[in-house]
Amino acid sequence: MSRSPVPARLQTQPSAPATTQVYEGLVTRGIAFAVDAALINLAALIVSVSVGLALSVLDPSNNLETAALAVAGVAYVVWTIAYFVTFWSTTGQTPGNRLLQIRVCRARDGEALRPRKSLLRLGAMVLCALPLFAGFLPILVNSRRRGLHDMIAGSVVVSAPVEAR
Amino acid sequence: MGKGGQADEAGAERAAMPGGSALLAVAALPATGALSLARRAARRTRRAVADAASETATATVDAVLESRTAEQLLGKVIGSPLVERTLSRALEGPLVEALSRDMVRHAVLERVAETILTGDALEAVLERAEAAEVPRRIADRVLADGIVEQTVARVLESAELERAVAAALDSPATERLMVRVMESRLLDETVDRLLDSEELWLLVQEIADSPAVTDAIGRQGIGFADQVAGGVRARSRRADAWLERAARRALRRKPLGELPPGPPPDPS
Repeated sequence: MSRSPVPARLQTQPSAPATTQVYEGLVTRGIAFAVDAALINLAALIVSVSVGLALSVLDPSNNLETAALAVAGVAYVVWTIAYFVTFWSTTGQTPGNRLLQIRVCRARDGEALRPRKSLLRLGAMVLCALPLFAGFLPILVNSRRRGLHDMIAGSVVVSAPVEAR
Repeated sequence: MGKGGQADEAGAERAAMPGGSALLAVAALPATGALSLARRAARRTRRAVADAASETATATVDAVLESRTAEQLLGKVIGSPLVERTLSRALEGPLVEALSRDMVRHAVLERVAETILTGDALEAVLERAEAAEVPRRIADRVLADGIVEQTVARVLESAELERAVAAALDSPATERLMVRVMESRLLDETVDRLLDSEELWLLVQEIADSPAVTDAIGRQGIGFADQVAGGVRARSRRADAWLERAARRALRRKPLGELPPGPPPDPS
């Protein structure tokens, strides 16, 4: 029995409606990521300012300030990871993605990424950014507009237009 | 009649006779006088009897009208089914139409109305009604019974009102009136007074705080954000296409035609 070149779950069902989804490009995804980064930093800024004001009143020692900075750094990293992993693993859309009406999903069946794959995708994104964002350049030439991190995590970014209310 | 009159009557009878029978007339003069007297007596008697009968009839009618028996009889007659049937037949029959025609022909209603309007009766009735606070009582009754609400609801639900309003709005007279109102100083003064009044700003505050308005503003804001986001999406996709074409040219790769279809939509 020969294996079908297309995964079974991607084969078009006769009764299924025709899909209109298309892969999204670098600029759209970059804008969505910028919106997400703004939201992450805005939340972090509000929290850090609040904590900083509280600490300025309490007047802690230098050691406590150093510890607070370390905790804040760790919290920022955790918050960023949690933000992306949670959204990619649940709806497949971060707020920035929703604004741009795009969605991160598995390449093989269109479902949301598992948390482990989301974590892997985020780590791969960091790696892609290290060499002057060269890891994202394949998006420009790949037929499915996949970057290196998409290939590593087995994901694609497709359009997700909001249905008319 | 006096003696002179009797002599004239006898003379006239003699003159009417032919000349040969004048002697016979003279001989019949006493009989003629007796006959004349008898005639006069008969006339006096008939007159006296007629007067007496009239007085008797009047007295009888007065006695009958004043008597309790007549009143009871009249009550019985009025209350009897016979009268009811008679009235019903009269009302069902052509009597009513005939009466109506006669009333119209003789202008009865107009005459009655003219009499009432020209006389003091109407003024007196109105004064008495006013003194008895009839208008206020009527107004109270109308308001208490909800007649005003029913009437207003009926008018508002009717198609006639819509037609009337549409006709009024479409008429050139309304347009001219509106132009005059808009150009008048009265409107400016009214607007100035409104803007100076504290109640207006309280009203504006109430409206601005109402949930319907805040909801509408929120929807408007969301709609505006959607519009902006839509513009950003369209531009970003055009930029994607341009950037990819440029990258493929730089790498000397064939331009990508139609992108392959994406995965199926998210089942969730």
